[in-house]
Amino acid sequence: MTRRVFLIIAAAAVVLAVLLWLFFGPGRPSVSRTVAPVDVLPTPTPAPEQRVMLLFAGPDGLLHPELRNVPLPVEVHERVRAIVAEVLIGPAGELQPVVPWEAELNAVFVDGEGAAFIDITPPPEPVNGSRIELLLAYGLVDSILLNCPSLTSVQILFGGHEVPTLTGHLDLSRPLRLNKAFISS
Amino acid sequence: MLSAQEMMRTVEFQYAGRGVSVPRIGSRIEVMPVLALIGAGAEYSRAAGTYVVTYGEHTLQFTPGHRLVLVDGELHDTNDAPVPSPGGVAASTEFIDRALLAPLGFRLEPIPQGYRIAVGARFDDPVIVRPAAADFDATTTLVLTLDRAAEAIAEINEVGEITVVFADASPRLDPSSRLKSTRVRAVSSNGRALLITTAPNVGLLDWHSLDGPPRIILELGRVFPTPTPAPEYAPVTAGPSPIVIDPGHGGKDTGAVSDSGLTERDLTLAVARRLAGELRARGHQVRLTRDNGEGRALTDRTAIANRVEAEVFVSLHANASNFSSVKGSETYYMSLDDQATDEASAALAELENEAGGEADERSDLDLILWDLAQASVLNESAVLALEVQTRLNALSNIRDRGVKQAPFVVLTGATMPAILVEVGFLSNPAEAKRLATPEHQQALAGAIAQGIDAFLRAR
Repeated sequence: MTRRVFLIIAAAAVVLAVLLWLFFGPGRPSVSRTVAPVDVLPTPTPAPEQRVMLLFAGPDGLLHPELRNVPLPVEVHERVRAIVAEVLIGPAGELQPVVPWEAELNAVFVDGEGAAFIDITPPPEPVNGSRIELLLAYGLVDSILLNCPSLTSVQILFGGHEVPTLTGHLDLSRPLRLNKAFISS
Repeated sequence: MLSAQEMMRTVEFQYAGRGVSVPRIGSRIEVMPVLALIGAGAEYSRAAGTYVVTYGEHTLQFTPGHRLVLVDGELHDTNDAPVPSPGGVAASTEFIDRALLAPLGFRLEPIPQGYRIAVGARFDDPVIVRPAAADFDATTTLVLTLDRAAEAIAEINEVGEITVVFADASPRLDPSSRLKSTRVRAVSSNGRALLITTAPNVGLLDWHSLDGPPRIILELGRVFPTPTPAPEYAPVTAGPSPIVIDPGHGGKDTGAVSDSGLTERDLTLAVARRLAGELRARGHQVRLTRDNGEGRALTDRTAIANRVEAEVFVSLHANASNFSSVKGSETYYMSLDDQATDEASAALAELENEAGGEADERSDLDLILWDLAQASVLNESAVLALEVQTRLNALSNIRDRGVKQAPFVVLTGATMPAILVEVGFLSNPAEAKRLATPEHQQALAGAIAQGIDAFLRAR
């Protein structure tokens, strides 16, 4: 009798051990053991979509507007990033990009006076022509200022540097203000 | 991200009797503890990827991975970029010293165990100077390009030598620079001054400084030790002011190039020479900013016009577009510099505020006169641009692209009516072919000359 009880207890112990091994053993992935990163961020609330006016180059040598629905944050740095990203993606239709090379937005600064400074990839080779320079500058500047009412001017930097000019014409050493002269009427 | 071994060491920073051990990350140092030590506020904007540092009235912004620092609205280029680190951001001691602490009014002083943060500006930091000279018929332009902005004045010292004295920097000559000039024998540094050794009877005629890059420009030429004074009854015989024509681009800077190889550099020179002939035939004095294929700095071109007190400044260019269909001529004049006007207005308001309504009347008047002069020159430039563009429109096969305003570098700072004429698009094959012909170049020159002549006669 004692031996039977002993065998039953031993069998129960084995079953329990197997169960414990199945649940907590090394071969089974355990969700509870996943360590959450310390700096895990809450999922950001997506910015509401808004209709923005972006400017691209047209066959008449002027800027033409393209309306596009994009998530547009309220915070001004993010807003500038969103607008510049869309301009750098390029137009959807017949128009041409105002930045005629594959460029990325590296950094955005905004000072207390409403001047934004955007740093984009420099051209891989020299760019010529004042019209190309004008449409690049005002395509970016006007697109930003038309969609970011808290800003008053924009300076374009290339590869982390201020440049006096891109093609030897336009003064890019200071922030540019809205100039609608190059937007097609 | 940097390895754990590199994080083992720390550097002591001391300020106002307090000390803090700051982790060293390789060759860089954690920035946040240093800023906290002086009591500066620092916040990281995750959306912008930018650190915003505030201290007193100063605000700095910098981004890990970038060498630019925005200091109170002014961009400063640095020699190093901060990097992301376990503590947020790490930077070299030079970056911390020059880009972060200096704008806030501090400086780093080495001590055995690290650094002491001292209050006050740093003086006598070296500034690297690269001299270059260009000899012309009667004058030599000596350009001293600086590796950073530094306040300096050019003057004649007590023994009659030309010196450039720096207010808060020690000039060091770039050893790789070579000076070739018949009038400038040598440039040497001595403490806070540069000494310009010239050929006999060559002296300082004029000087000014420019930004982007920071430069000091000296005009040197023949001077006479004892000029003969003119008799009081002698009539004033000043000649008429010239029209300055600026053929765009030059040297290695070809500007736009057509499919057939016609360069903007050569085309503008050809039209400029013809324009000079047309204007001289109408009785005008003319000066070209360049009369060969060599280049000139953009700001020097306007400086020439200002120096000779030109009646009119005309910069000639040829255009290019990504669309080969775009054609026609355009005339530009300087856009109203809202920023400068705002700055003038702000300065005026500040003067009034500081003096409690008793601002210096002379300064007020200067600002108002400056503003009026700018507006007057701008209005005249608009009229000149319209006169020229109207004549260009009359040329067959040229589409009117109108008169526009934009802040062109070459028009900046001109103190006379100044325009930039784009004679046509080299990216349009048909127009480029026409622009290459002497007949069309002459027609363009004639049209521009008519416009300038009409403007000057109506003044």
